[in-house]
Amino acid sequence: MKLSKLLLTTAAAALAVTGVSVSAFSADREVKIAGFGAKSGVVRSFGVNTEAVMKAAVKHINDKGGIKLGDGTMGKLTASFDDDRCNAEEGISVLRRIASTDAVVAVGPTCSNVAEPLFGILQKKVDDASDSGLQMPIFTDTAIKGGLAKISQWAFRNVPNETVMYQTMFKWLMGKHPGIKTIYGGVEEDFAHSRFTWYKVMKVRSAEAGYDVKGESKWLLNDTNFTTQVREMKKAKPDAIAISAHPFTTCGVLKEMQRQRVKPKLLIGLTSSSSLETLNGCAKQAEGIIIPTSFAPVTDDARAAAAATAEMGGSADLHSAAAWEIVLILADVMEKQGIMAKPDTLQADRRKIRDGLASLKSTAGLLGKIKRTEEGEATKPYLYVHAKTGEWAVLHDPSQQ
Amino acid sequence: MDFYYGLLQIIGMHTILGLSAYIVLLTGQVTLAQAGFFAIGAYIAGMLTVLAGWHLVPSMLVAAVVSGTVACLVGFPALRIKGLMLVVATMAFGEAVRLFWFNFDYQRSKGEALVGPLGGEGFKQIRYFPENGWTTGEVATFVWIWVALIMAALWWIDRSRAGAVLRAVGEDELAAQSVGINLTAVKVTAFAVGGFIAGIGGAIYAHYTTHIEHSNFGVILATFAIAYPILGGLTNVVGTLLAVIFIQGFLVEGLRFLGDWRNLLFGALIVLAMNVRPRGLIDERAMLFLRRMFGLAKRGTNA
Repeated sequence: MKLSKLLLTTAAAALAVTGVSVSAFSADREVKIAGFGAKSGVVRSFGVNTEAVMKAAVKHINDKGGIKLGDGTMGKLTASFDDDRCNAEEGISVLRRIASTDAVVAVGPTCSNVAEPLFGILQKKVDDASDSGLQMPIFTDTAIKGGLAKISQWAFRNVPNETVMYQTMFKWLMGKHPGIKTIYGGVEEDFAHSRFTWYKVMKVRSAEAGYDVKGESKWLLNDTNFTTQVREMKKAKPDAIAISAHPFTTCGVLKEMQRQRVKPKLLIGLTSSSSLETLNGCAKQAEGIIIPTSFAPVTDDARAAAAATAEMGGSADLHSAAAWEIVLILADVMEKQGIMAKPDTLQADRRKIRDGLASLKSTAGLLGKIKRTEEGEATKPYLYVHAKTGEWAVLHDPSQQ
Repeated sequence: MDFYYGLLQIIGMHTILGLSAYIVLLTGQVTLAQAGFFAIGAYIAGMLTVLAGWHLVPSMLVAAVVSGTVACLVGFPALRIKGLMLVVATMAFGEAVRLFWFNFDYQRSKGEALVGPLGGEGFKQIRYFPENGWTTGEVATFVWIWVALIMAALWWIDRSRAGAVLRAVGEDELAAQSVGINLTAVKVTAFAVGGFIAGIGGAIYAHYTTHIEHSNFGVILATFAIAYPILGGLTNVVGTLLAVIFIQGFLVEGLRFLGDWRNLLFGALIVLAMNVRPRGLIDERAMLFLRRMFGLAKRGTNA
């Protein structure tokens, strides 16, 4: 008798709980965005900042009431963030985990060496029944190596086009400093982004602009001693030095350049180094370094995003600020595509988001209008900034030419 | 479910990598060359399926034979040295292999794109599984068929005269030599078999990730390769499997929800496991306990 009572009570409680959750579900549905990236290792700061930006952007949208779903009800955005340790295997595992949850879209990863395999496991062409690849939309904020989104029609990126940025910057620099004729490179050889950017972008575009490229010194992401590389730079006696490396080794090289008294007339950096990490690590040595970037707090929206991110304990920079734009773009696409955010519409919602992203021709961005390409890439507005007394200051706005 | 199939694939691949080091460790040799053989298997199999359009299975076998042959060739000079010197020599070999792929370019047109290894930028679009409609469940089954075959083969070797010879060399080289065992032949054979197994693991890895690059095959992977059998114990092949489940399933994947704390706990839990089970997760006493539990050994039987 006691057992029957217990069972009845349990069943009633379960029904009550289920009833409550069903009513809660229909009243205020959750739309889950799953972020992932590197939150450990030498690129940890990228993931930490992206997570803060994502959470700030989600709060920004929810404070305005959330997003309107396909059946007219309002849905609240939620954001999670997983660490992939900048490791391809872990990145794949994290994405599969995300795909097994009720997340409608994934935002990430940080590293290009993770993005490339991740995009590879996605279905290459939509509706290709012979391709069993994963059908999950991914919108990338940080992994910047050129041309990755074309790997899959489920992959999209909101990263700047470095080729265009450096092409115009080298031309502008040539006009601005006609006396500077020779350039020498420094490249973080084992990191996909920095390597690609030196050999396929900086080296080629600087030569096109009329610079005499005298060679390059190479080092690795985990290197801490740059004596030989800087000695090579010194020996080449270039007018300008272009460093294609992330903040950690950029600072190491700059400090060694100071020690060996290597003072080029012009110092150029990698997009990823236009961040707070570089200034925290070597503001004095980085003084004057010029970098093209797709983010600076120069508009009201950009300042608001930077302030909201700071409240979340992060820093908005070239990479992380892209996550803010991504969340806003996604919210807009979700509303326009009328996603339902119900368990039984999960795959349909993912498909709607993919189709919505693929159909975009342009979107709003923190610095202005962002154009979208057919391959899922972005052409973002950009500026040239330079390190000035411990801060990034705008040096030139190419759109004003 | 796909996530769990994916996790099974990872555990399977790492088990194969661990087993490639297991057989070498049985002869008392500590090697850091397995990541190199793993890389050779990955690149060769990838090139055969992507550039030559081969079926995966023959590609894997060819990749494994190439890895095994390289292991055999490297084994002759490398195994003339022992202990720490061997560790350094095999680590140098692993790095040499990694740097070879770092500088190796061989691309051909496939449709509109160029495919094949491209030095530091890696080798992308190794999409045999999705292009041929394999589901994650089917891939996981495929991986575990290989794991089962390799574990069964090593289990059988362990219980044959060959296994006794391997262990004899591992326990006491002088005693083994005094009873007529050719040390070089035994060590080189173990090295070659280890290279063959690592080649199979690498081939699966390349097709799992769809993109490989030199940095995937560094010292950390080599360290994991020997950590699995050492942590699992050299009593039998099951220990390696358990160690992989412990590291990849529990420490890497299971603790992901802990965020940054996971990395701190990772090392601490391995140290703890090694202290609690200094002879490995599956040692002789554990085996005796298991045998008794399943009624395979009588009370009073020694391990």
